[in-house]
Amino acid sequence: MEAAAAMDHHDQHESTGIDHRKLGMWVFLSSEFLFFGALITNYLLYQGQPGFARPYPAEIYDIPFTSFSSFALLMSSLTMVLAHNALARHDQHATRTWLLATAMLGSVFLGGQVFEFTEFITVGAMKLTTNPAASAFYMLTGFHGFHVLLGVLMLLTLYGISRRQGELSEASGLNLELVGLYWHFVDIIWIVIFTVVYLLAGTPAGVG
Amino acid sequence: MAAHPGEHHHPTPLQYVKIAILLAVLTIIEVALFYVNEAADMGGWDAPLLVILALIKFVIVVGWYMHLRFESSTLSKFFTAGFILAMILYAVVLLTFGVIALGS
Repeated sequence: MEAAAAMDHHDQHESTGIDHRKLGMWVFLSSEFLFFGALITNYLLYQGQPGFARPYPAEIYDIPFTSFSSFALLMSSLTMVLAHNALARHDQHATRTWLLATAMLGSVFLGGQVFEFTEFITVGAMKLTTNPAASAFYMLTGFHGFHVLLGVLMLLTLYGISRRQGELSEASGLNLELVGLYWHFVDIIWIVIFTVVYLLAGTPAGVG
Repeated sequence: MAAHPGEHHHPTPLQYVKIAILLAVLTIIEVALFYVNEAADMGGWDAPLLVILALIKFVIVVGWYMHLRFESSTLSKFFTAGFILAMILYAVVLLTFGVIALGS
């Protein structure tokens, strides 16, 4: 009886067999769905409402340009996973190369976003306070860009550590995996944003 | 030591490149669909098609690049639960405000 109780007690505290930091990262990323979901929903609520000062975001999108920067971010997921794969093969040089390539592609995306915002504000005359749809657009894509910026900084930190130490240790290897998970998540959020906000963009009837 | 029953080998670099090519092709189809709908109204069919394409890309990145299909089911449950709960919550909000509608 006591043995069974002890066994039951043991089972309740059984390890998941997953590194706690990795589990924590997956739970964090799962919670990020709520964060970005709120921002996307906020945009969808305002994009089709009539009566606001123009322009609406959908009136001034540059789809070819955004497609190009989306493609850069999508391909950065490839270079990220190749960095992870190279580290698993203990190829430190290739790991550094792919890490740097990922950071560069992320920077291309960020540069594109800065250019896009500048064009929207100066040429398109759509400022943060022009209308609620514009505010929602800048909040959503701006917060996503901030996530990309954090990712680029983490990638460059890993690259710097690898350069200084000559290699990434086993502990750093887990860090690379965690940064990789974060990076891919930023990519999948953009897959959703690109489709819902840009390609399925709507304006109120009679506008655009 | 015997391999863990749930253990799978991750894709090779070549397989990762093939996946990237697939993702690129899907993106090209998405953008093409956007322009086709601009040129000739697809009668509302563009929306479900674009959402399906985005979902396919989403699943490919999560499954293969984030290795979720090779990981413990515990991680899948955490991640999927967050995604589904968020989808339900915001679908309710969008339905409530009439941004999306059930039926025609």
